[in-house]
Amino acid sequence: MRPRLELALQRGIAYALAPLTVPAVVAVLRLGFRYRIEGLREVRRAYAAIRRENGAPLLLCANHLTLIDSFLIGWALGSPWFYLIHFSSLAWNLPERMNFATTFTRRVAAYIFKCLPIQRGGPRGEATQVMQRFASLLARGEVGLVFPEGGRSRTGRVDPEAAAYGVGRMLRSLPGCRVLCVYMRGEGQDDWSDFPARGDRFRVSLRWVEPKTDHPGLRGSLEIAKQIVGCLADMEQRYFDGR
Amino acid sequence: MSQQEVFERVVKILTPYVKNHGALDGVAMGTHILDDLKVNSARLVDVVLEFEDAFDIEIADDDVDTVQTVGDAVTLIEGKIS
Repeated sequence: MRPRLELALQRGIAYALAPLTVPAVVAVLRLGFRYRIEGLREVRRAYAAIRRENGAPLLLCANHLTLIDSFLIGWALGSPWFYLIHFSSLAWNLPERMNFATTFTRRVAAYIFKCLPIQRGGPRGEATQVMQRFASLLARGEVGLVFPEGGRSRTGRVDPEAAAYGVGRMLRSLPGCRVLCVYMRGEGQDDWSDFPARGDRFRVSLRWVEPKTDHPGLRGSLEIAKQIVGCLADMEQRYFDGR
Repeated sequence: MSQQEVFERVVKILTPYVKNHGALDGVAMGTHILDDLKVNSARLVDVVLEFEDAFDIEIADDDVDTVQTVGDAVTLIEGKIS
């Protein structure tokens, strides 16, 4: 099947199931794990305004501390109702295949939650293909979410040196793509982990970044990625300054 | 610059990133950089940037995907410097 058709089918199935899946995830996060997000209404209002502004490609770049960050960010940025009406605003993800697509059940879950699993350190051509699919979705008005450090922050803090050049490469292939940095951290999150502590309370901040480079090729892609991660590191500093 | 010279410089650049030092003893054109030398895939970008500096060439994003073996790197670099 052609990639574009495959993605359209995946989106259609995800959308058809969204009235069940999206509220279910929110219920698990809110009632099961008892997570809370500070200033939830303001964050959602800001994201809704961003989505209304224009149809330019939008890439969310976030810090990464736990396995469920993409779910938490999705919950923070929009209500289930919002996503049911504006399904394109529910971000596509690029989860590590080893974490999310090793069993049939996980593969199904990844599929219906708008994920394109990618194997870090796997065959370069395959990773490039996934990134191209991801970029094509953004070009068609879908939102994407990536973790530009390329994995969870192993020191518990954003590491500007850990920038994965792939995000820079993708952005260079998408002229006009806007980049919104999302910094999210639970009060009890001192280090990286699989899950945040039960009952944790999260703070979320958003900031635009316009990465630029004069360098061509790989060096340019890496510089773009480093500017984005640098922005996240600065947001983190503000988070701790304000604590 | 001969192919052998390029090969030797490529191996020298790779050496600090190699985790499987035993594989360096028998390194050849067909040696796989990630699988045999166990270079961390995330560091491959740094390796390629060092190729750019060492040989004063520019390597496009797409070219990075073609580099899997030491020989791939040598061929790519030879093509750029010729």
